[in-house]
Amino acid sequence: MDNKHKICLVASAGGHLTQLLKLSDCWKDREVFSVSTLDSAVQKIQEFGRFYIIGECNREHPWQSLRVLKNCIRVIIKERPDVIVSTGAGPACLLCIVGKLLGAKIVWIDSIANVERLSMSGRIIRPLANLILSQWPEVAKKYKSVYYAGNLL
Amino acid sequence: MIFLTVGTLFPFDRLVRAIDDAVETGVIDQPVFAQIGKTSYTPRNMDFTESLDKLTFDKKVTDAAYIISHAGIGSITIALEQKRPLLVMPRLKRYKEHVNDHQVATAKEFEKLGHILVAYDTSDLPESIRQLKTFIPKERKANPEAVADRIRCFLDSLRD
Repeated sequence: MDNKHKICLVASAGGHLTQLLKLSDCWKDREVFSVSTLDSAVQKIQEFGRFYIIGECNREHPWQSLRVLKNCIRVIIKERPDVIVSTGAGPACLLCIVGKLLGAKIVWIDSIANVERLSMSGRIIRPLANLILSQWPEVAKKYKSVYYAGNLL
Repeated sequence: MIFLTVGTLFPFDRLVRAIDDAVETGVIDQPVFAQIGKTSYTPRNMDFTESLDKLTFDKKVTDAAYIISHAGIGSITIALEQKRPLLVMPRLKRYKEHVNDHQVATAKEFEKLGHILVAYDTSDLPESIRQLKTFIPKERKANPEAVADRIRCFLDSLRD
């Protein structure tokens, strides 16, 4: 077994993180670290070892996004993950973009909240993602190279 | 006890105020504990806090007879997993409650599947609160193993 790839798990605090945690079995015996957006997430992610809190941002607050982007760059340069796995949202999308620029593979599982179409983050990340899944078959059908494998919740 | 939770990312004064009013007018006839986030409205008829750590949050959920919340996936998930009847009101962009209106679509879908009750506006709340007392949520079957398998497959395909 070759489990040498370093995996970065990233999700916004709240429902996004709840979904990512449902995949915990995937990371057994692999090197992982995790990233979330608020201190309230620490209790949930510390079991995976080292973690980073990059702050919250959204499209309404461009200045916060710059601060989060700076944190994303810092994390990626320090850790150089081989794979980034995310369930969203915006800040995770930023981390994925920075990671992709430095050669990481992207696995994006769009949040189950998006019942009609991919989230905005999902649509941005789609051309960059190596694997992108929706949790609704009808949504997956709307896009080339978006797949449905099951639902986390 | 009814547990009201609205998350922390954006304010949701509209729901907090409406539930506070519902206690005052007797539409809600039991104590409410509320997690209200950063709101400018101060409830007068219920105990409240800005945010809760995970352990206290989980305890509030298990202690609650019913849950009322925004249509966030975190809240929907925990209510379904703990088998608590849940009434949601979706956040709306026009009141600056979220960046878009995706909570309406989420709420509609989970309502259609029989998992939750939805009030699309504060005017729906009194009737929805009445229904909540007899609402039996349909159990939700998730299959995270299937998603995990797909991802494991991808990870295993990465070599060197």
